[in-house]
Amino acid sequence: MATISFDLVSPENLVFNDEVGTIIVPGKDGDLGILPGHSKVMSSLRPGRVMVYNEDKSLIKSFFVSGGFAEINPEKCIVLAESVVEVNSLEKTSIENEIQELENKEGKETEEQLSVAKAKLEAINVNYYDKI
Amino acid sequence: MPSLKDIKTQINSVGSTKKITSAMKMVAASKLRRSQEKAEAARPYSSRLEEMLSSLASSAASGEGIIKLLTGTGNDQNYIVVPVSADRGLCGGFNSSINRETFKLVKSLEGSGKIVQLMPVGKKSRDFFNRVMKHQIIESFVDLNVSSTGYESALNISNKLQELYFDGKFDKCILVFNKFKSAISQEVTQQQLIPLDVSNSEKEEEKENSSNAIYDYEPDEETILKDLLPKNVSIQIFKVLLESDAGEQGARMAAMDNATRNAGEMIDSLTLKYNRTRQAFITKELIEIISGAESI
Repeated sequence: MATISFDLVSPENLVFNDEVGTIIVPGKDGDLGILPGHSKVMSSLRPGRVMVYNEDKSLIKSFFVSGGFAEINPEKCIVLAESVVEVNSLEKTSIENEIQELENKEGKETEEQLSVAKAKLEAINVNYYDKI
Repeated sequence: MPSLKDIKTQINSVGSTKKITSAMKMVAASKLRRSQEKAEAARPYSSRLEEMLSSLASSAASGEGIIKLLTGTGNDQNYIVVPVSADRGLCGGFNSSINRETFKLVKSLEGSGKIVQLMPVGKKSRDFFNRVMKHQIIESFVDLNVSSTGYESALNISNKLQELYFDGKFDKCILVFNKFKSAISQEVTQQQLIPLDVSNSEKEEEKENSSNAIYDYEPDEETILKDLLPKNVSIQIFKVLLESDAGEQGARMAAMDNATRNAGEMIDSLTLKYNRTRQAFITKELIEIISGAESI
C-alpha cells in the first residue's frame, strides 16, 4: 500500500515528519481523513485531535492541536498548528482546573481559551478514532 | 613612574576583566547555538505559511475587516515603527545600529510629512527612544526572552499591533531588526509587516511552476485567508524575534572575543613594563651598593 508523507509543524519546531498510511485532521467543518493520493485541499482547522496511522491502520500517534491549517496534495500532507501536544501527555485534572478558572472570567480571549480547553478535555475522553 | 605594586594591581585587574569577557564569550557561544537551532526550527512553519499565503493572496479582492492586513487601509499617513533590539548591552554595535537606523527612518518619514509612532521591543531601544522621542512611544515590550518563552511573546506583540491597526491608529508598520547572517555578522533590515508585502515576485514565480494545480478550499478561500493573515503577522514577528536573538548572541560573542584579545594584549604590554621597571629597580640598587662599596 502506498504511503503519504506527513509533516506536523508548530511555530517552534517540526513535531512530526514521516511517511504514514492515514491521517485524520479536524477540519473546520468536519474531520478529514487523508489517504495517499488525496485531492488537493487547503483547510483551516478547529481545535481537536490529529491522528496518525501507519499503513495497516494502527494508530501511531495522536496530537492535540489548538487550530491551524492543513495543506493536502496527493503525495504530502502538511499541518501547521499553533500549539501541538501529544494527547497522551495531556493531564485531565489540570485542564479541568483551567476550565473552571476560565469560566469565572469574561472576555473574548477567555472564550477562545475556554473552547480550546474544552476541546482538550474532549480529546482525552473520546476514543472513536483509536481504531479505524 | 608607577611603582611595581601599581603595575601589578593593574595587571591583576585586567586579568580578571579578561576572565569575565572570555566567560561571557563562552556563554554567548553556547546560547548562540541554541538560538540558532530555535531559529532554524521555526523556519519550516514560516516558509510553509508564506507559501500558503502567496497562493491565496492573489485571490483576495479588496475588502473590509481582516483582509485589510493584506490590502492596506488605502492611506499611508500614519506609520508605526518597531525597532527590535536586545535587552542587554555588551554586544558591540548590535543595539546602537538598530537605534541609529530607526532614528534615521523616523526622521526621513517625518521629513516627508508622515506621522510616526514607535513601539520599541527590547530594553536598549526603549531606553534610547525614551530619551530622544518619548512622546512618540505608544507601547514597549521588554524582557521577552524569546528563547525560553517561545511563541507567546510574539503573540503579545502581534495582538497589540493588530488591535491598534483595526482601531485605525496606523496605516503601515515597519520592523527594524538585525538579520542574522552568520555567527559574526548581522545586517540591519527593514521589513514592512502591515500591510503584507507580497512583492517577492521571483519566489512566487517559482511557486507557480511547482504548484500550478488548483486547491479545494475548506471552508472557503476567504475564511482561510482571514485565519491565515493574523497568524502570519504573529509568525513574522516571531521569526524576527528569533533572528534578532540569534544575532544578539553572535554579536556578543564577537564583541567579547575582541575584548578578550584586547585584554590579552594589554596584559602582555603591562607585563613587559613590569619587568622593565623591576629590572631598572634592581640595576639602581646594584649601582647604589657598588658605589657605596667603592667609597669605603
